[in-house]
Amino acid sequence: MEAVNKLRKRRSRIYSSEARVAYICLIPAFVGLIFLTYLPLLGVLGISLTNWTGLKSPEFIGIDNYIKIFTTDPYIKDSIIATIYFAFLSVAGSMIYSLFIALLLNRKIPARGFFRAVFYVPYVLPAVAIYVGWSWLYEGNFGFFNYLLSELGLNKILFIADSSYVIPSLSLISVWLAGNLIVIFLAGLQNVPGVYHEAAEMDGANGWQRFRHITLPCMTPIIFYNLLLSLIANLQVVTPALALTNGGPGNSSRFLTYLMYDQAFVNYRIGYASATTVIIFVILAVFTLVLFKTSNLWIYNEGGDDK
Amino acid sequence: MSVAAYGRLRSKKRRDRTMNILTFVAVVFFALLAIFPIWWIFRTSLMSSAEIYRYPPALIPGNWLFSNYEKTLEVFKFWKYLWNTMLIIVPSCLAGTFTATLCGYAFARLRFRGKSLIWALCIGSMLLPAMVTLIPLYIGWTRGLGFSDSYWPLILPYFCGGGAFNIFLIRQFIMSIPRELDQAATIDGAGYFRILFSIIMPAIRPAMIVVALFIFIGLWNDLLQQMIYINSSEKYTIALGLTNFRGQLKSDWSLTMAATCLSFAPGVIFYLIGQRYFVEGITLTGLKN
Repeated sequence: MEAVNKLRKRRSRIYSSEARVAYICLIPAFVGLIFLTYLPLLGVLGISLTNWTGLKSPEFIGIDNYIKIFTTDPYIKDSIIATIYFAFLSVAGSMIYSLFIALLLNRKIPARGFFRAVFYVPYVLPAVAIYVGWSWLYEGNFGFFNYLLSELGLNKILFIADSSYVIPSLSLISVWLAGNLIVIFLAGLQNVPGVYHEAAEMDGANGWQRFRHITLPCMTPIIFYNLLLSLIANLQVVTPALALTNGGPGNSSRFLTYLMYDQAFVNYRIGYASATTVIIFVILAVFTLVLFKTSNLWIYNEGGDDK
Repeated sequence: MSVAAYGRLRSKKRRDRTMNILTFVAVVFFALLAIFPIWWIFRTSLMSSAEIYRYPPALIPGNWLFSNYEKTLEVFKFWKYLWNTMLIIVPSCLAGTFTATLCGYAFARLRFRGKSLIWALCIGSMLLPAMVTLIPLYIGWTRGLGFSDSYWPLILPYFCGGGAFNIFLIRQFIMSIPRELDQAATIDGAGYFRILFSIIMPAIRPAMIVVALFIFIGLWNDLLQQMIYINSSEKYTIALGLTNFRGQLKSDWSLTMAATCLSFAPGVIFYLIGQRYFVEGITLTGLKN
């Protein structure tokens, strides 16, 4: 009996020293989670109920900011449209582009590592430099794309200086930047068991059938991950507006995060900008939630029962 | 093997070879397409203004005007900006990687009370978009702690675990290391920190390098936060300097492109050094979910 007690005591001592080490390790993350994540989250909700401008002390005004945003704000509607339009084009484009390139790179080709690096390189360049560089390609008179158009006998386009072309033009850049998705897809493709393909080939399935019924189902978890990654990133888009367009021309690229920046840090309407932030947060949360909820409809689970 | 089957196999082989050649041609084509914008920017940076506006435009500059770079550097204080950027990035990468490793270790290996709660909080914060906390954090850093026109608001968050995603990455990596290694060390009398420093850390070096690279890229691209926390041009980073430079020299495309190419350079060099780990780590993020 005594021996058992002794053992138990010793074990709990080991256990507590283990816990002590764990808490020491977790101090930084704990501080971060409280002070940099969850308290600020509550903070933004609180500030959104005030009329704070940063100068006078804030007054509580209830949900006035929200009412104003939905009834009189001149930008919010354009802003939501621009953001969703941009995110849709960018996500769809970069998913298709990166899956396609990954499929090409997954075949037996020489110098695969080199080509993978080529497609990946845009991702490691500083975003501002990318946008500034592309703004020259999009230039209205002497830019490369207008040279192409004139060679094809078409009229010149102002691209990022034209309100109807600015979003597709910026989306093209973000598709080009999707090198990280290619690398993730490629890794996923290399994990698709080769035996499935061999078996299907024996049965006479052609390339498309094998892609459709083997590769694609095996890839659905990776597709989901990439979709989530690229959706969240693209819905928060702000750098092209800051570096190039200033939300223009007109309001055509006044993305939601840029709208918030403009309200809070240019016009110092901090209370109002916080309400905008909350609305952006809700929009992002809805998109993420829908993606998660619908995911079990199309994600193929290898261990699961296939219909 | 029958003659017919042999013939079928041979024709399949031939078909495979044609397909591989076609794939290779397609890959080369798309690679050229992907690299083309960078080349176009680079060749513009070496041209005179007259040559830029010539029709049809040349793919390769007639004279390689490296003097454009000298002219650019007179206004675009690249070395200064690079230094400033490194003042932010180096401490952030070191601190972020180190604290993420500590946290990842605790979650992967240690037993303690409240583990599942803290882990849930951590994972939950991964789904919280960074822009949501921007305003309260700005107020906290500038009003609460008095950091205005300072790098600290950009650096200090990395002393707090380096972001949930990075903690997650490290944890997954540590969990893939056999526990027998730790146990053997415990029998030899090593404590938890000894195990972390002398067994875990060497084993997860690729993951730590990847975390450092992610932090690097994140800071590199974060124009928004740099814009709101840094005011004086003395303290400009590359991203701020380039944005500002473009505003000044809107029409001088060759100098703007020279500044752009200069800004590309550190990223390319960093990438070439760490390429192997980069690919390994990104692969890891995709497959360990």
